[in-house]
Amino acid sequence: MTFAAAYEDPPRVWGVGRVVVGDEIVPWAVSEADIDDETEVAASFLRDLGLCADELVLIVSYLSQAIHVAPFERAAGVIGALYSSADASRFDAFRTASLVRQLEPTVVIGIDDAVLDGFDDLGRNPAEVFASVRAVVASGTAARVRLAAAGVTAGVWLRLGALSAVAYPGETELRYDATRWQVDDADGELLVTNLVDRLSPSDGFRTGVQGRIPTPGRIAL
Amino acid sequence: MPRADIDRQRDEKLLGDLVPWAYKRSGLIRETWDEAGVTPDDVTSMDDFHEKVPFIDKDAIRSYRDRHHDPYGGLLCLDPADPTMKGIFSAIFSTSGTTGDPTPAPFAGRGPSMLVREFWELGARPGDHFLHCLFTFRGPSIHDTIRGIGATPVFVDHQPGDIEQLLRFSRDFRPTGWYTLSGPLIMMIEEAAARLGIDLQDAFSSYKGVVFAGEPIGPRARARVEGWGLELFIQTSLGDVGAATECREHDGCHMWEDTAYIESLDPEGTAPVGDGIRGELVSTTLIDKVAPLLRYRSDDLVRVTREPCACGRTHGRVHTLGRKGDEIIVEGVSVLPGDVWGAVESIDETNGLFQLIRPAREVDTLRLRVGYATEGPGGLLALRARIEDAVEAAVGIRPHVDLVEREVLLRQGPPHKIPRVTEA
Repeated sequence: MTFAAAYEDPPRVWGVGRVVVGDEIVPWAVSEADIDDETEVAASFLRDLGLCADELVLIVSYLSQAIHVAPFERAAGVIGALYSSADASRFDAFRTASLVRQLEPTVVIGIDDAVLDGFDDLGRNPAEVFASVRAVVASGTAARVRLAAAGVTAGVWLRLGALSAVAYPGETELRYDATRWQVDDADGELLVTNLVDRLSPSDGFRTGVQGRIPTPGRIAL
Repeated sequence: MPRADIDRQRDEKLLGDLVPWAYKRSGLIRETWDEAGVTPDDVTSMDDFHEKVPFIDKDAIRSYRDRHHDPYGGLLCLDPADPTMKGIFSAIFSTSGTTGDPTPAPFAGRGPSMLVREFWELGARPGDHFLHCLFTFRGPSIHDTIRGIGATPVFVDHQPGDIEQLLRFSRDFRPTGWYTLSGPLIMMIEEAAARLGIDLQDAFSSYKGVVFAGEPIGPRARARVEGWGLELFIQTSLGDVGAATECREHDGCHMWEDTAYIESLDPEGTAPVGDGIRGELVSTTLIDKVAPLLRYRSDDLVRVTREPCACGRTHGRVHTLGRKGDEIIVEGVSVLPGDVWGAVESIDETNGLFQLIRPAREVDTLRLRVGYATEGPGGLLALRARIEDAVEAAVGIRPHVDLVEREVLLRQGPPHKIPRVTEA
């Protein structure tokens, strides 16, 4: 479908997504500038995961995760790569398997428990599905453990408040951008504070995730 | 826009631009045209187009994909490695995959799509919130379109697990537009509201319009949603070259004829059918230069009219009847899912969840698989008899009905629809 002229004065809010703290869902508004800034961080993650120009990253997520996902989508373009998308649901696991086969992505990010359940339904072994993929990144530690049990050494992607942290395959510590975010641990819980301007500020935002900070920029769970 | 201007624009875009562009760059188009002995030089008028341009269909795309190991089926007209394409050709999305492997769909550019016209028609305006309730595999176009009218997207998953947030965000952010609602979502919203004690008229009171898409809606489901105070705008696919959406007159879905050229042809042949007569929708893009479809036989059975609409638009309208490949002939009678839809959903216990069993186009017995939420007052035998009575009254043929728990059917589809026709 063709593209129309953009509204000359789009709203400052890029969109209202959410951050998840345990069982609590907090609506979270971000600006276009927030997304652009986080895109630089996401590009760094994807480069380190091995994504190069003219390659493709498959991003497996939910639309409700848009404020965390959009920077990765844009980061693919910054690198000169393409991206494709599948839902992180049990039903849509067939799409992940199909797109991996058809599009041969270099990096797949966002495999969660539901997708692995879907693979089980389909009788698909994750090691076989991802055999051609250079780097697989799980969404959440439980999925990472299941992937490991299936023979896939995966990284992990965590959404801590409004920030994304990524551990690369084979690494135990997660990385985050310490120039933009401060992460502290208080009584074992990770707290997030933005160091650069954000539409929705985080000031010691309680993430509900247990961990510690061995050094700024690294998280140990 | 006057009809003469629509036609003039079509001729300029199609004959002067898309035809030579696609022939030069699309492997599938060039292969198909070469086999037919046609070149762009042979197509200088719409008469030439109708007479000489060969058709393509989904099978042709899949065949090209398999023969050439080309995930784009020979349609891609851009070289992803071309440095001038960086930032333009940005992503690959995919079709829903309801009936098979999802088909990769190359995506170029960023910015609002022509759906800005539909979102404005819904009543959404700059400064509003707009509920974006969909999937990831459709890409960022809807998000960009919501921002394109100056509104702010509020993201909700089109999933059973996110219904509570849909209700909560509807009340908290007071959105005016909603893209999209579907049959299964209606069912889930109704159940969640009952469980949580939520008044849906109150929760949805801010909406001025809601786009319903994915599959047809039966009269009973439509009445239920309208009882919540929602005005539905039905949207249908336009042969994979775009979408067509109802206006406030709700008398067919408007196809934007400055973006697509739509033919309605004899489903078994190549002759055009008359205005308002049942035909097969054949689509040609006027704007997609990334993966253009030219004379794409969609398999969709439609009625197309170019009579002016009461809303004032001069662009034609399409009424979707079903898919040619879904048609069942029983005792010489044509039956499509839409023919039995209202009858099945008139039985409360079914929620309109059913499948036609179609082992072949012509069958001796009309067989339906129907999902049920509860057995109803007389048990399953009585429920089956009521469904069979209702379907017989609608199509004149007594069906054989297999009853299954509704979850059996819901598991077969994506969250917004189920396959309405199955071989077994």
